[in-house]
Amino acid sequence: MEALTDIVLRSLWVSGSATLLSSLWSLPLAYAMAVSRRLGLLAPIMEALVGVPTVVVGLVMYMLLSRTGPLGFLNLLYTPYAIIVGEAVLITPVIVSTAYRVIRRSVETYGELARTLGAGPLQAAALVLSQSAPGLAASVVMGFSRAIGELGVAFMVGGNIAGYTRTLTTAIALGVAMGEYELAMQLGLVLIALTLAVSLAVRASKRLWE
Amino acid sequence: MRRALLAALTVAAAAAALVALVAGWQQEHVIRVRATTTTSLYATGLLEFLEEEFKRVRPGVEIDFITVGSGEALRRAAQGDACLVFVHAPSLELAYIRAGVLERGAIFAYNYFVIVGPSDDPAGVRAAASAAEAFRRIYEAGEAGLARFVSRGDNSGTHVRELSIWRAAGLDPRGRPWYVERGAGMAETLVTASEMQAYTLSDIGTYLKLKREGRLHDLEVLYTNSSELINIYSVYLVSSCAGEEREVAEEFMEFVVERQDLIAGYGADEYGQPLFYPARERLDELKRLWWSLAEG
Amino acid sequence: MMAMRLLALEDVWYSYDGKRWVLRSATLSVSGGEVVAVVGPNGAGKTTLLKIMGLLYRPQRGRVLVKGVDAWASRAAALRLRRSVVYVHERPIMVRGTVLDNVALGLRLRGLDGAEVRRRVSAVARALGIEGLLDRDARKLSAGQAQLVALARALAVEPDVLLLDEPFANLDEEGREVVADVIRGYSREGRAVVVVSHDRSVLARVATRWVRVRDGRVEAP
Repeated sequence: MEALTDIVLRSLWVSGSATLLSSLWSLPLAYAMAVSRRLGLLAPIMEALVGVPTVVVGLVMYMLLSRTGPLGFLNLLYTPYAIIVGEAVLITPVIVSTAYRVIRRSVETYGELARTLGAGPLQAAALVLSQSAPGLAASVVMGFSRAIGELGVAFMVGGNIAGYTRTLTTAIALGVAMGEYELAMQLGLVLIALTLAVSLAVRASKRLWE
Repeated sequence: MRRALLAALTVAAAAAALVALVAGWQQEHVIRVRATTTTSLYATGLLEFLEEEFKRVRPGVEIDFITVGSGEALRRAAQGDACLVFVHAPSLELAYIRAGVLERGAIFAYNYFVIVGPSDDPAGVRAAASAAEAFRRIYEAGEAGLARFVSRGDNSGTHVRELSIWRAAGLDPRGRPWYVERGAGMAETLVTASEMQAYTLSDIGTYLKLKREGRLHDLEVLYTNSSELINIYSVYLVSSCAGEEREVAEEFMEFVVERQDLIAGYGADEYGQPLFYPARERLDELKRLWWSLAEG
Repeated sequence: MMAMRLLALEDVWYSYDGKRWVLRSATLSVSGGEVVAVVGPNGAGKTTLLKIMGLLYRPQRGRVLVKGVDAWASRAAALRLRRSVVYVHERPIMVRGTVLDNVALGLRLRGLDGAEVRRRVSAVARALGIEGLLDRDARKLSAGQAQLVALARALAVEPDVLLLDEPFANLDEEGREVVADVIRGYSREGRAVVVVSHDRSVLARVATRWVRVRDGRVEAP
């Protein structure tokens, strides 16, 4: 199997990009749900979707990205970008539902404060989001942890190709499939250490911010 | 001050992520060939070994091996998501050839399936005269509560072959309490068989690899090397494959077929016996066996 | 000079849940130079009334006129007119950052330049006696200090109508005196202040008119 550092860096890159990409739509959606009563009705649905098995999301993404699927023309299947897109979709419910809870509380206070001072909708949104930054960081980290720890999407649309789309989790699964349990165990420990490190780093920066 | 530091850090992190993303896109142009393959074949390392040798004569290409069971390997090809398929399930292969999914193919290697089980062999498989008889003995011992059998249960080539042997023996073990459908790859199935002191059908490569690593306690080859247990590996070009990917795929297929000398020696140093035999010397006989497996 | 009618509620009905009316046919108008004291039992709808005057809540029925314009006729109107009516919460809300950041918040939202922001911040800070607090962390203030900061934040944007919800609640006698002076001074500039408070003695010092909210209606006391 290829060098561990390559796999680790690829996993960080893929899951990190997926998290950024997902945040691009998840945070605005969470904000829209927090300010609009009608969109707020999505909250229980999002919460329910958090529990969808990753392999189901992976299968759906595969059917979409397959050569014969509706998005086949993008030629994304079996590339790291397919995993990025798939994981971004996968972690949307996690980020949206946790961020929604944070923002809702913030909208009631800072949103109203902004309106008393004559803020427009965008200015109010900016104030609310900046005031809830630590909570939002935590929800983005939850998204990242789910992305880097998931197997279904990476396996189905990435293909676990050595040196190209092999991530920590698919390498672990391959290790198990090949009976190389020690290797799988080591990779598992690296994965835990990584998610722990990211979460601690965010906590530390949160303290700095407060 | 702290705020400024934090803002700077955030910007730096975002910039780094962006650069990484862009750098990822701008990787130098290599031709990638998508190849689905069975786990048992990939796990031996043979395919990556052949790819390395191929890249010496044909730089600038990558063969992307997607490792799944034979059933899924073919299904993905049918979806247009593979250019080459490396499989060992003649009956499935024939179905996909007839459906027009697979275009051209070649038998490039073979070896034998092995029936493995606990060394005390409660079913008496060692004394069997044929694979079907061995399975019949396991069935009887199973019904008597003396033995268990672990099946892959995943529509892989090995699984398909196992089912065809049960059919040849005129038996249907599915649903019997001693018949365990594992739904997993070969290595996991072997480990399960070892843990349960059960019988199973395995390809020789995965068995030798795990045995050598000390993963399989008290699990031995009890029956093998008859033509009914022959395991035939074929490579196919997928009809939907096109462009430069197709050109390279054709070259790689040709390389694999031409350079069977590489296959003959593979694994002999490591495992004390070769894992595969080149198909070339017995091609006519293998073709005949392939057809009987495919239609039987 | 005739005092200008700055803010008016006409037959306003409001309900939070669509079942129980908190305000029922509330009518009230406020003119420049007035300090209107609003009293009434707890839960009578005083805060709701102020928030509707501050264009934070949109009434289900009735009209809210700001300087004669129907504020909810369009979204754009509400947005524009909200800048001339500022509501100050009973419990001050402080954003992350210094006291200066908080006082300057409304000014920065209006895109004023740095020099103007500094000028106005120091003027209101002087008036309220909080110059010494400007560099402090706004989240580490006492309740009374925070109340003064919130008032300063509202004064800085110089609204036509200032809506104060219990502005004396957390203050000592000296603080109450300062706030009362500021309220009187502000109304003399031709603007209006509406004050909700339970503290009748200090209200008596500033009020030019009294109204009572009872059962969702605005009445003369």
